[in-house]
Amino acid sequence: MNKPLLAIGISLALSVPLATQAGPKEDFQEVYSKAQSTHQDAGTFQWTITSDRLKAAKSAADSGDYDKAMAMAKEAQKLAQESAAQRKKQQEAWRQVAIGN
Amino acid sequence: MLKAKIILVALGAALALPQALAGSTPEEDRKETVEYFKQMFPDVPFEEFVNGQYALNDDRRKQWESMQDFPPYEFAVAEGQEMIETPFANGKTYASCFENGGIGIRQNYPYFDTEKNEVITLELAINRCREANGEEPLRWKKGAIASISAYMASTSQGKPINIKVPDDPDAMAAYQDGKEFYYSRRGQLNFSCASCHVQNPGKWIRADFLSPTLGQPANFPVHRSKWGELGTLHRRFAGCNNNVRAEPLPAQSEEYRNLEYFLTYMSNGLPVVGPATRP
Repeated sequence: MNKPLLAIGISLALSVPLATQAGPKEDFQEVYSKAQSTHQDAGTFQWTITSDRLKAAKSAADSGDYDKAMAMAKEAQKLAQESAAQRKKQQEAWRQVAIGN
Repeated sequence: MLKAKIILVALGAALALPQALAGSTPEEDRKETVEYFKQMFPDVPFEEFVNGQYALNDDRRKQWESMQDFPPYEFAVAEGQEMIETPFANGKTYASCFENGGIGIRQNYPYFDTEKNEVITLELAINRCREANGEEPLRWKKGAIASISAYMASTSQGKPINIKVPDDPDAMAAYQDGKEFYYSRRGQLNFSCASCHVQNPGKWIRADFLSPTLGQPANFPVHRSKWGELGTLHRRFAGCNNNVRAEPLPAQSEEYRNLEYFLTYMSNGLPVVGPATRP
């Protein structure tokens, strides 16, 4: 057996998992972190449903179901964006309806 | 001549504009709010607004009146009295923390403490009194604090609510903050407090009959049939926020205290009727 060729072959085989490091877990983590951060941006305008989705995402990730985790994280991000937009809009919008202004 | 007229009009506008931009005062807001609800419900006497939905719905009122013979909060009020009269471990009582020993003062809460620069609610004052005397604070939304608050409210029955917003920029900011909260839409359902209580009182939302803003805090702490016990105003704030899928804020947070400040000011002149029952 050609020992150097075998060594190279084994190294290549072992490096395959390293090449696929940007996997479902990491992808999920990125979306989840973004959703958490956007949720914080909503300040006192956070929605309960966003928190629910974040919890569901974390729970699914903890049990290894990254498909579900990713779906929940994406939903959470969308809801968080809407709540942050609501906070921004209401900064002035409330004056239009307030009695006495 | 025309030039002179234009100059005069421009001058007039320039003088009027700062006044317009200054915004309304709390008292102007309150008067306008009272007028708004008087026009919406012309047959409801002013003082009746403290009874909320019972002033607007006859069936509900009949049910309520029949409950008044044996109000479900009576035990809690008696419990509250006992707690207030029982000395702390250090020998002092709640009386040492409150004007007139805590009797007949509920109508003055919340007030703005210009030294601490914050709104002091009755429940906050109760727990600060406990902490100042080496006692553990009570939980904010129900139980002992609601009983003590209920007893104190009962000693102020009929007294007109008398909230002051002093001529102080921080007090005004707290009032404005509360007003902003009241009128801001929040939650996934995108409702503000005003969506229900200013724009739609007298209507049903699912199985709840909506009360108007005017008079709302006068009946707290409240025994809700839904809770099966007394609860504080901040418990209700949290519940309402949750109902529209807005993350509730902590009870006695700055936001909720400012909200209570604005809301109670709107009810100035109306009689304290707490504790009371609601569905």
